[in-house]
Amino acid sequence: MTPGPASRRFAFAYGAAFAILYVLARARGLALFTVYPSLGIILPGMHRSRDVADPAIEFLAPEMWWYGWTATAALGALAVGFLAASLPERAWQRLRPESLWLLPLIAMAVCVHLAMPWLRR
Amino acid sequence: MASVLAIIHGLVAVALLGAITHQTLATWSPAGAKPGWFFACFRAVKSDSFANAVVVLYLLAAALGAIVYLDFKVDIAPDLERDGHWLALGLFDLKEDFAAIGHGLLPGYWAVWHGPRSEASDFTRLALTSFFAFIVWWSFLVGHVLVNIMGFAG
Repeated sequence: MTPGPASRRFAFAYGAAFAILYVLARARGLALFTVYPSLGIILPGMHRSRDVADPAIEFLAPEMWWYGWTATAALGALAVGFLAASLPERAWQRLRPESLWLLPLIAMAVCVHLAMPWLRR
Repeated sequence: MASVLAIIHGLVAVALLGAITHQTLATWSPAGAKPGWFFACFRAVKSDSFANAVVVLYLLAAALGAIVYLDFKVDIAPDLERDGHWLALGLFDLKEDFAAIGHGLLPGYWAVWHGPRSEASDFTRLALTSFFAFIVWWSFLVGHVLVNIMGFAG
């Protein structure tokens, strides 16, 4: 099975956009939803336990944003992917698609930067 | 149940590690390598046939990891925080991030292994495959450390 030009444009644009949007979602707190695994509930948007409960009992209802960040990035990347798939091939080639894998690499470096408070603690 | 899923997650990760490592070594080994040389053996295998397996195994490992992560957050992470394993928790945060970014790259990785070949696509193929190998190795090693941390560093 060989992907057509539009599928390839979608695939490369999706990967690059996902990486950028994931880092943005993570850095700016743009989770599509928040999961509370100990309570078994999912709330739309980004929520923090410490906003509604004393920090001392925060551990009783730990919140998880990773699923929400991933969903935010995936939705945005889908939109960018479909947009790229609809581009004419000549316009797409101007974006130098062979270099788009660099964006996820940069995104990973930003993630390392964002994790520094944990790593240095 | 969580333990069973964690073990299956680990087994799928081992299979994924084998597939991506094999493909990466095949991609990096030089075309004119001496026959019989260990790394030349990797080139004898059709590397593109690994791409489908890598995509399926990655999705399966990620799905299982996403389920097990819920139990990790409730039952294990608080203990690690209490015991001050901040470095391990930070490395695990990076595992989450890298795994998510890797998920985004899956369509491009699949497309580059099944698309027409050119000099540019060969380089992209090499870059993406190496990238995936790094993410999979990182996730495997950090996951392994986290699973053993209480006995390993506790």
